[in-house]
Amino acid sequence: MANGPDSLSDIVTRRKFLLSSGVAGVTALAGCSSGSGSSGDGGSGGDDGGSDGGDDGGSSGDESMDTETEAPLSGDIRISGSSTVYPVAQEVTRSFAQQNSEVGFNLSRDGSGGGFENVFIPGDSDINNASRPIADEEIQRCRDNGIEPVEFFVARDALTVVVNNDADFIDSISLEDLGEIWSPDTAPEQWSDVNSDWPDEPFDLYGPASTSGTYDYFTETVIGETEADQPIREDFEGTEEDDLIAQGVQGNVAALGYLPFAYYVNNPDSVKALSLSVDGSDPVAPSLEGAASGNYPLARPLFFYGNMDKIQEKNHLQAFLEYYINEADESYIAEDIGYVPSNSDMVDANLANLEAAIAGDYEYEPISTRE
Amino acid sequence: MATEDTAGDQLGRNAALRFEQLKGRLFEAALIAATLVGIVSLLVLFAQISIDAFQPRSASPTWFLVYLGTLVTPTAGFTLYARRRPAVRETNALAFAAVFGGLLLSSVIYVVVESLSPYDVFIYTAFAASPPVLVSVYDRATDERQYTGPAIPASIVAGIAAAALLYDSIKQPIGVAAEWIMYFGLVTVPAALVVAWLTTSRRDSRAGAVAGGAVVAGGLAVAAASIATGANTSLFVVFFSAFVVPTGYVLRRSIRRDPAGRVGVAGPFVLVGGALLGAAVVERFGVQNPETFLTPTLLLQSWDGLRAGNAGVYPQIVGSIVIVGFMAVLAFPVGIGAAVYLEEYAPDTGIRGRLATLLEVNISNLAGVPSVVYGLLGLALFRRTLGLGTGVVVSAAGTLGLLILPIVIVSTQEALRSVPNALRQGSYGMGASRWQTLREVVLPEAIPGTLTGTILALARAIGETAPLVIIAVATTKYSPPSGLFSSATALPLQIFAASANAKPEFRHGVVPAAAVVLLILMLLMNATAIVIRNKYARDN
Repeated sequence: MANGPDSLSDIVTRRKFLLSSGVAGVTALAGCSSGSGSSGDGGSGGDDGGSDGGDDGGSSGDESMDTETEAPLSGDIRISGSSTVYPVAQEVTRSFAQQNSEVGFNLSRDGSGGGFENVFIPGDSDINNASRPIADEEIQRCRDNGIEPVEFFVARDALTVVVNNDADFIDSISLEDLGEIWSPDTAPEQWSDVNSDWPDEPFDLYGPASTSGTYDYFTETVIGETEADQPIREDFEGTEEDDLIAQGVQGNVAALGYLPFAYYVNNPDSVKALSLSVDGSDPVAPSLEGAASGNYPLARPLFFYGNMDKIQEKNHLQAFLEYYINEADESYIAEDIGYVPSNSDMVDANLANLEAAIAGDYEYEPISTRE
Repeated sequence: MATEDTAGDQLGRNAALRFEQLKGRLFEAALIAATLVGIVSLLVLFAQISIDAFQPRSASPTWFLVYLGTLVTPTAGFTLYARRRPAVRETNALAFAAVFGGLLLSSVIYVVVESLSPYDVFIYTAFAASPPVLVSVYDRATDERQYTGPAIPASIVAGIAAAALLYDSIKQPIGVAAEWIMYFGLVTVPAALVVAWLTTSRRDSRAGAVAGGAVVAGGLAVAAASIATGANTSLFVVFFSAFVVPTGYVLRRSIRRDPAGRVGVAGPFVLVGGALLGAAVVERFGVQNPETFLTPTLLLQSWDGLRAGNAGVYPQIVGSIVIVGFMAVLAFPVGIGAAVYLEEYAPDTGIRGRLATLLEVNISNLAGVPSVVYGLLGLALFRRTLGLGTGVVVSAAGTLGLLILPIVIVSTQEALRSVPNALRQGSYGMGASRWQTLREVVLPEAIPGTLTGTILALARAIGETAPLVIIAVATTKYSPPSGLFSSATALPLQIFAASANAKPEFRHGVVPAAAVVLLILMLLMNATAIVIRNKYARDN
């Protein structure tokens, strides 16, 4: 090759490179404006009182917003918080987004506390999922930021106590024995230390890590107050992944663990679930019916909390919350996700909370002060 | 006695020698073993993921036979044939790069512009691109070189600022036009200009005008045909301009230049045609496909957390591309600028020299800071200080940009350092200033190394999960990001979330399939880096 064309093509390619990087920069800035534009649209849509059921009117400009025609719901909804409630939120938002293509959803899994701390309390999310009631300190910080959290109690999650499939010596356990096994005060070494019918095998314990809402519920309900300064014995394997708890229990005949029921119901062959009894009552096998009727002792409540100002501001959020509340008693919550759906009382209470929030006179009452 | 002694000595020396050799061989074997540990465990990992993702055991033997006949055998045969003939092999490699590069380019352009709104992208592009084009035309027409250089970046900034100011009044009239016209302006017109320019520089301006005109006419014809048939006009216009035109141009040119290698052009078509033919045969005769989750549904639909067969990661893929693309726009100029300063301008002595050394040491340390820490930094900087929303594209891109900045700086410094000092001295000897030397000699030499390093940094950024979790980027969204201040989602986050799904078909089917998609995205970036490096290395 001669020198000429080479250097020429060199120039061309360098220019081309400059050109293309310029275009990239421009594309970026263009995105900038479209973002602010669309958020503005969302706001005006909210002010305009568009109710649901509007047909796809297409990308209506601002002028159509001024007329009294029914605009389709549009805008964004940000949902943060618990990874336990996440599957429910995921399914409900998916079906809502299919019917309302202009409503954008944004779901993250931050954990109940992480969601409050990083997203909900700074005022970034519309809804925070929680697998426990909101803490007093979190309420205080919400109010310091001018946010009133609106509580919706949507479902229950049954905890399942599991052992190895080959553990023939045990089919049920009492809550008192369970508490004795896990308590830091007693911390028995061997199964036979708790009940002489059980073998002389050392315990091999698995459970969720201390960051999990499941852990909080278990330590509070099963173990209760402890004399030691930690809520649970320290020699157990704590993990964030339910899969790993099941695998741990699978690997040792003398293992014991606890899991969300949703995991057990989707992987029923991997481990054996124990029936539970309280104060010498008949043992109850873990089931959604048992949890719904209150017979099964380990069923924890799942919540989501809405930001009252945003509920008042955003029409599409009101419509979505109404949809969510009514959807929460559907059977797929039990069959496909593995939680106890809302009963009709819960739906009514949630709708009442939503109405109060839209009117602006909802005020959160801590559970201890309610009857 | 004496002879016995010597024999004993001999024996002893022999034994010592053998022992030395044995030690050497043992050492070598240990080194081989150390190498194999890494490679074998990597292979096992990939095999595990691919088996989970493709589920080959669920396919019938006929399925393998069909693809063996239509895809594997012809491709292998063609590759063998091409390997023996250097000209064919070169054309074949070029054809592969052109066809798959063009496909990739057109789909990325379409997907990203579609999610950001074609009208906005068009307005900003037009405003930013016109002034520098005018300046360069002026430059060529008048031979005035004093101010045109600095005027080009300044005019781009001015154009973008004008677009931002006038946006509201322009949006209305432009919004009336059909969407495909935006794509025509964004893709077909630049493609036509580039083709015209390249043809002009190789032949003459008349041929250039004809070639450019042909591209424009072709674009219009494609648009007319797809409007008539009711197909997606925008998609076809982009596909024509960013795939057919560049591929056609490159292939035509390589055939002209090297007629002996003409057959090599068929390479990519043998591969694609074989895959399509195989799919057609499988469909026609109802052969049992593998029960894989790596399907068009996964690539083109949005997420479904309950039905694994229905789960898709389209918004996550586009989100990842938009985040990483904007991150590149933010981090590359800063990183390359810093590297050029530290390597070319920073003094070696005095207080400023010591400061520069301190900076360099710190940058090397920053490259090793765990990504979670960058997540915390991003949260503090973008959310708490600048007040941007949580999990928007800008904060995600900015956080990842900070994360790769040290990598970009270090790799650019390496590239600059590898430029022989004699070149600089020669340039100074000719009377060139430092800036002229940098622009004309050093930077062009350093481009391959810089691009390789920076694109590898991109490939690292696309897989980052921890910092995105910390700044609360969404896990699940049902639409791709619509702008830089809209919330984004990224593929690794959805993979992470799905790995905790209670249903086993998610953990052992969808998750590996999505992981393969992420790996392919990363490998495509690495491949781009290699192609660019080879191209520049050959040019130089």
